[in-house]
Amino acid sequence: MRALLQPEPAIPLWTRRAITCCGLLLLSCLSPLCQSQDKAAFTPYDVEAAYLYNFGKFIQWPSTTDANSPPFSICILGQDNLGNKLDDIVAGETIQGRRIVASHVSSVEAADQCQIVFIGRSEDARLGKDLEVLGKKPVLTVSSVPGFLERGGIIQFVIQNNKVRFAVNLPAARQAGLALSSELLKVAVSVTTNPPQEDKQ
Amino acid sequence: MPTEARRVLKRVVACGLVTLAVSHFCVAADAPQTDKLKRLSLEELGNVEVTSVSKEPEEIWQTPAAVYVLTHDDIRRSGALTLPDLLRTVPGVEVAELEGNIWAVGIRGFNSPYSKDVLVLIDGRSVYTPLFEGVYWDAQDVLLDDIDRIEIIRGPGGSIWGANAVNGVINIITRHAKDTQGTLASGFSGYVDRFNGSVRKGLHSGDDFQYRLFAKGFVREDEQNPHYGAYDKWHLAHGGFRADWTPTPRDAVTAEADAYTGKSGQQVSYASYAPLAQLVVNDTFTISGGDVVLDWQHRYSGGSDFHGKAYFDRTNRQGMEFGETRSTVDLDFIDHLTMLPRQDFIWGAGVRLSPGNVIQNQASVDFEPHSQTDHVYSAFLQDAFRLLPQSLTLTLGSKFENNNYTGFEIEPNARLLWNPLPHAALWAAMSRAVRTPGRLDRDLQLTDVDVVSPPVLVRVQGDPTFKSEVMVAVEAGYRQLLFPKIYADIAAFRNDYENLESYGARTVSFITTPVSAEVLTIPYANGIKGTTDGLEIAPDWKPTSWWELKGNFSHVHIGVRPMPGYNDTTTVASYQGSSPHRTATLQSLLNLPHGGEFDFDYRFVSRLPAQNVERYQTMDSHASWLLGKSLRLSVSGRNLLEPHHHEFAGDNNLPTGIRRSVYGGITLTR
Repeated sequence: MRALLQPEPAIPLWTRRAITCCGLLLLSCLSPLCQSQDKAAFTPYDVEAAYLYNFGKFIQWPSTTDANSPPFSICILGQDNLGNKLDDIVAGETIQGRRIVASHVSSVEAADQCQIVFIGRSEDARLGKDLEVLGKKPVLTVSSVPGFLERGGIIQFVIQNNKVRFAVNLPAARQAGLALSSELLKVAVSVTTNPPQEDKQ
Repeated sequence: MPTEARRVLKRVVACGLVTLAVSHFCVAADAPQTDKLKRLSLEELGNVEVTSVSKEPEEIWQTPAAVYVLTHDDIRRSGALTLPDLLRTVPGVEVAELEGNIWAVGIRGFNSPYSKDVLVLIDGRSVYTPLFEGVYWDAQDVLLDDIDRIEIIRGPGGSIWGANAVNGVINIITRHAKDTQGTLASGFSGYVDRFNGSVRKGLHSGDDFQYRLFAKGFVREDEQNPHYGAYDKWHLAHGGFRADWTPTPRDAVTAEADAYTGKSGQQVSYASYAPLAQLVVNDTFTISGGDVVLDWQHRYSGGSDFHGKAYFDRTNRQGMEFGETRSTVDLDFIDHLTMLPRQDFIWGAGVRLSPGNVIQNQASVDFEPHSQTDHVYSAFLQDAFRLLPQSLTLTLGSKFENNNYTGFEIEPNARLLWNPLPHAALWAAMSRAVRTPGRLDRDLQLTDVDVVSPPVLVRVQGDPTFKSEVMVAVEAGYRQLLFPKIYADIAAFRNDYENLESYGARTVSFITTPVSAEVLTIPYANGIKGTTDGLEIAPDWKPTSWWELKGNFSHVHIGVRPMPGYNDTTTVASYQGSSPHRTATLQSLLNLPHGGEFDFDYRFVSRLPAQNVERYQTMDSHASWLLGKSLRLSVSGRNLLEPHHHEFAGDNNLPTGIRRSVYGGITLTR
């Protein structure tokens, strides 16, 4: 019984375990992981990132007056797994002769220089606010947050039968001053044409 | 923060940085893949099959607490048929089967039958009983395919969920009716789990109203009870429905109801006064009950939302010692406001009324008064301040409760979350939580016969002034997704407890009714305090699209001692020796061609000296094949490494042998 009451030396054990953890993770990352990836294994984030890059080709932004032709900017607001993928997709690419840059923005105010803003799932609670600010600017808002279009977003990703599709809110696009090509609308799973009804708190 | 925790935290941060640096090497190998993808047209992109790789929901990066999520797929692929068995691979969770239908499910120490420090909710409905202060696992059943996910929070959740969410919270969340359209029929049969069958029909009316109806039943055989014979059979029949209605894009209404009835065999020991004897009998509890849950969520246009919930729950349990019927009505709402700049404000209030009625079947077992209505009135406030946009958030909140046992209780917490990267989160928290007394601590009078001649009785007596057990926790954790292939989650904690349940000073007296005897009275008391500290590591590695490895290692050190004026070393030894100091699991999930799956998990649990249980290791396995489009065949085995092993003794000093079980299954979905 006395032996039971003796406290165990906790620290050395923790320390040992913590070191083991580092070692294991290090080892596992150096092993085959880095070389091999199965051919068919695309995640929704891969496909969504590819869409983001593609959308730029089918949308007309109000012409920029800036003679320096600034880079075409795709921004991620908030946090989403997609962010990691986008960097690889846009590396070295151009749209309408402009170099594409992908960047993370920390607030909606910092996003007004972007042509496309992807709003991550972490923004769910602030979505109404974000869209209020972005909705009046020539910015294509995209998200996979449920109910995005009803809240005034322009393009929402939806997963149907393990495939990533997208739905379009046309009035919101018009309000932002964007012209969406018919090719894009043809591929969309649904196109909203009526302005969403609002209720206020 | 204690120095040990700080030291561990340093290691944790270092660990995160090392793996982060290495992960940059892995990006390059990815590039050719995504390169192909971006050359596809919009139409082609819409035809690319995708797999969901990271099972971690996005919210995990915003959660400053130790959480683990069992997804629908995890549940199906575990091959488990009972709720406690599903939880065996979760870090920090200790699951021990005492008998075929009794489980101890603990989190971060203090494991006991009925799990008194853990709050369990099914779709927001608490299944924690105030009579026995815990969960009757033999009355909890869900059609496992209906479960969307199980969220397990390790550490205190009192500031949101209120009393008894001390060491953790288990949230079982069922699927939306739109996700269970069509027909499901499944049957499992084998050794130990004799039969387990379910049918479900999902229907809809228009696009905005879906519902499902289900019926389920199972029969479970005895475990290995060599000394007392077979007595722990268990069977249950269960049916119900769930309906989901979306009247507008901003509103979601859910109505659920279900009812069950069953019998669970348990061995009970009680005193008989005439003739005077301590009897050990094989009893069969009759259990039945049902509930109705209504839930309404409304989203305002500015990002704010409102969530209201009401439920009624009825339980009925009858045994040879005593019985209980209980009806609970609970009303709750939460209002989430986002109009303040850089703040997320949530407030809510609730009321719960729970009249219970104890039926006394033996003179030696009593709860006085027999009928009592328990109540909890609660309010809750929480504000999250974004100190740095997107990366640093401070959350302050508290629950305020009034209950009929201890009056006013406050359960505040403070949590800090830092996202150094979009998929990395470092968090720390400090919280207070309470376990409020129930009828057992306050009102029980349980008399056992110690010696027949001359008669000596031992009487365990509830303490009418029993206070809440109080816990103050300091926690920290780090989690990171190293691209979709490795996810690592580490959490460390130190919990300080006071007023833990123990036995108080014994008194000797003589009684003449109902028998003339010497009585040794042992009252309950709040007589133990102490600390637990520990660490959980849960990595998840997906080397290829068809293979996933998940591990977890959990350590807890329990150091408790009698408080001044008390001397209950027996309960001290029981607290210290009833939870495994170390557990480890390794799971492998393999996808085979043509929809085949082959999975196994290995589990190690260190010894429980207070429960006469030696350390054990065992293995579960699950394999399934898809036949055509709608038929899945499966074979599952549990506890494969030995014919039977011990997990927990409980009141019997001899633990029951938990048997190896093997069962085959067939599932039809269309």
